[in-house]
This record gives sequence, C-alpha cells and structure tokens, in this order.
Amino acid sequence: MSDAFVEAVLAAIATVLRDTGRSGTHAVPTSLLADDLALDSLDLAQTIVLLERSLGVDPFRSAGPVTKPIRTVADLAAVYAEAVRGFRE
Amino acid sequence: MIDPLVINRQPAAGRLAFVIDHVARSEPSRPAVVGSAGSPSRTVVSYASLADLVARCAAALAEAKPPGVVVRATTPEAIIAAAAASGREGVSVALLSEDALDLVGELRDWAVVNDSLDVLTPTRQRAVGGHDEPPHVVVATSGTAGPPKLVYRTWDAVLAAARLSEQWFGLRWLLAYDATRWAGIQVWSQSLLTAGCLVAPASRDPDTVARALGEEHVSILPSTPTLLRRLVSFADHGLLKAAAVERITLGGEVADGPLLRQAKAAFPNARLSHVYATTELGEVFRVSDGEPGFPAAWMNRELPGGVRLSTRRDGELIVQLSRDSADVPTGDIVEQRGERYEFTGRRSDVIVVGGAKVFPRRVEETMRGVMGVAEARVFGYPSAITGELVAAEIVLTDPLPEGATPESVRAAAFGACRDALEPHSVPRILDIVRQIAVTTAGKTPRRKAPV
Repeated sequence: MSDAFVEAVLAAIATVLRDTGRSGTHAVPTSLLADDLALDSLDLAQTIVLLERSLGVDPFRSAGPVTKPIRTVADLAAVYAEAVRGFRE
Repeated sequence: MIDPLVINRQPAAGRLAFVIDHVARSEPSRPAVVGSAGSPSRTVVSYASLADLVARCAAALAEAKPPGVVVRATTPEAIIAAAAASGREGVSVALLSEDALDLVGELRDWAVVNDSLDVLTPTRQRAVGGHDEPPHVVVATSGTAGPPKLVYRTWDAVLAAARLSEQWFGLRWLLAYDATRWAGIQVWSQSLLTAGCLVAPASRDPDTVARALGEEHVSILPSTPTLLRRLVSFADHGLLKAAAVERITLGGEVADGPLLRQAKAAFPNARLSHVYATTELGEVFRVSDGEPGFPAAWMNRELPGGVRLSTRRDGELIVQLSRDSADVPTGDIVEQRGERYEFTGRRSDVIVVGGAKVFPRRVEETMRGVMGVAEARVFGYPSAITGELVAAEIVLTDPLPEGATPESVRAAAFGACRDALEPHSVPRILDIVRQIAVTTAGKTPRRKAPV
C-alpha cells in the first residue's frame, strides 16, 4: 500500500482534530480511530469529505460496499488505495 | 400625477400601457427606465420612447394573434414593453428568467418576443379561440420550496399590491431583482404605475449598485436580505454615504436583527420595512417597525385585509388569505421570542445530520458575529455516514481586524460555533471564499455543494 494514502488520511485527521479543538492529539498509522483518537461518526464523516476533496474519491458512496473492518488509520488508507486503484482500472 | 381612481378604472391587463401612454403625452421626456446604471454605458429610456416600444409590440401582437407570448428579452425596457403590450392586447404573457427556460415546453404554442420586440410565432400554430378568459401573467417560482414551476396569475393579482396614493408618485426605484421574477415585476409595475423611474444597475457588484443609488438619486430600495447584506458589507462607504435612500423594502428571505441594525447604520435616514410574500400567495403582510419577525399579537386572529396566520405543531407558518380560502403551508418555520414571532428558517433549508436538525440561519448568524467574518453561508453537504454534514463558506472582512490572519479568523469562527451551538450544528467544512453564492432570485442557496 502506498504511503501517500496514509499521509492523506493523517492530514485529514489532523484537520478534524484541529477544527474540533483537539490539537493535542496526534495520529500515527497504527492509531485506533475510535479508541486512540476518539473519532465519532461526525468526525469520520468530516474525514471522508476531506479525503474526497484531496483524493477525488469517496469509497463509502461511489464504489461497492466496504466490507473489511476499518479500525486503524492504516485500514482507512487501504480502503482509499483500493478505491483509487479500482477507479483507474 | 394621475388620479388613482382613473388608473383603477382601467381593466388591470391594460393598466400599465394606459399609464405609460398617459405620462408619455403629458411629460414625454420623463425618464422611465435607466439601464446599466452605475456604469459608463448608462442608458435612459423616456416615457415617450417606452410608449413607442409598447405600441410597436402591441401592433405586432395584434397581427400575429398568438395564444400567448413568451418574453425572451433581456433589457428591462423590452421586458416591460412586451408585458404592457400583451396586457393591452389581451394576450397572456410568460416572463421567464434564464434558469426557468426549460419550463417553456409547456408553452410551445406561444409566440416569442425578443429584445427588438419582434413577435416570432411558432410554425405549428394552434387555432386561436376567443378571448373568453382574462389574459394571464405566467412566472416561474424561485424554486426555494421545490423545483421551479410555472404559476399563472391574473393582472389583477399582479397589480394588487401596487400603491397608487400621491406619496408614491414620481419616485426612483432600484431594480435589484431580475425583471422576470415575481419580485422584479412588483417593483417595475409599481414604479411605472406611479410615473416613477426604474433604475436597473449594470450588475450586482456592490460598488456598482452603490454608485447607481447615488448617481440616480434612488429613493426606494427593494432588496432581498442577502443582496442588502452584500451591499452594506462590501460597497465603498463613500458611495453609500452619497446615496439618499428614503425607504428600504426587504423581501424574499428572512431579515434578521443584525442585518436590520447594519442597514440602519448604513442608511440612517431610510425607513425599513420587510414584506412577507411568496410567488404563490403574493404579499401576505408587511412589518415596518424595523424589528425582526412580526408581532406575536398577529397570530391566530384576522388581520386587516382578512389574512389569518397560524402555525403547525412543528412551527411551520400557515397562511389563510381570507375566510373562504384554504390554509396554505408556507414552508417557513417561526418561533415565539417574547413579544415577537421570528423566522428560524425554511423547512427545506433544514440540514439533517445523523437524524438531528440544523437550521442554517442560526449557524450563519453565529459566524457573522465573529470579528473578521463579513458574510457567511451554511448549507448541507452530502455524507454517506451522517446523511448530511454542515458546510459553510465565509467571506473575510477587508481589511482584517488588526493582528488577525485568515487562519485565526477561521479558528475563531469554529470556536464561536462550538460555544454557541450543539455539536452536530458546528460546521465540519469551512471554506474561506471571496464571495458567497447568490441565486438569480437574490437569495442564499442552501443545498448545492460548492463547485
């Protein structure tokens, strides 16, 4: 999996944390979205819109259903890597 | 001035042409329409010239005898001449703005009038029956309450709200609206029926509008709150000071307290009133005390003129125009605050975030209260997770407050929303833009995601 997607997800999460006044929290690829970063459904919805803007895809809307469990930053990045690959093929 | 009784004795459809002719005879050079005002390409159309345009178009209509006519003209004088001529000839007329032209299929048997006032008849013309019913004026709804649709009104209904008493004669009106919209038609018909001068600015650019107000000595400024807010926030203060506006009539959207105060500061000598009207109902009521909303005492009783206001359980305002007419749900949500009912938003404007309702106007008001924010627009952004998210665009003041940066204003806007609003109402997408979007009806769009 390309690091570019991990970087994009980390940047989006950093924006979410900053916009919601939680600048003290820092994410790494292995961070658990819910347990480590305390991202709720609104935070995730914002993350997905930010990623749609930076990567041009929304795998949760445009592609088929996302079936793999998404627990970490790396898991989320993998969904985008997959979606972009599918988009290019 | 013309005796209002003489005007009202004319059949409504022919009233505009009658007054235009009357003024053209008594004061031929009196200006009727100033076009491209506030720019070097300013044009003036006198009552005599306008009467000529009406006569030319009426003659063409009398010859073509179409079942109706669709006005495809773009200049205010051509639109007005075509409408007045159709009324005089007893031909129904459709006034459609650019974004409503796809509705024209409904009127495919009708002739078309362009800017040079030629009447173009369709090739497969329908046999014309007698004029057994009065001619109509067809307009498109603004689409705030659903997809735009055609509305058929009689000339009596179009001119019902026009004020013809002496104090309204010979005034100078700003045409801030599209001349083919219901609101625009109200402005130009009022102006012409009272031998007034209609001032159409060259564009909606705030400085151009402000320059038109001053240079053309506009006394009456009808506007939507969105357009007025843009004018008083962004126009050059020197230009605004040079304007001598005596009356501001707001309509089409809710006028909130901060805007009313801002308008009073920019135009200290102007009387402020806001009109509650819809394309479907026409004018329902008018509030002239400069306060937002309307007096709570008006609810659930018959008002002068027969109108009755009530609310549904969810706060939606219901209007009954007269005792015999049906209740009409307006789509506007009101809430009692002390002695007033204030508008909190439109039903269709509500953004639903994970099942919770957000009224965009409240979020906008919160952000507009932040130092460095000149203007704000809040709308729903589709989300697969929560249905919608609250998205916002803000315009920064120019210059920014001392020591502020775009980033610090953005952070302050988030902070203000977090302090004042429930978590789901706080915008999740916040973009700094140079100008907020405005619909052709002069309102703030609520749904479209930024392109």
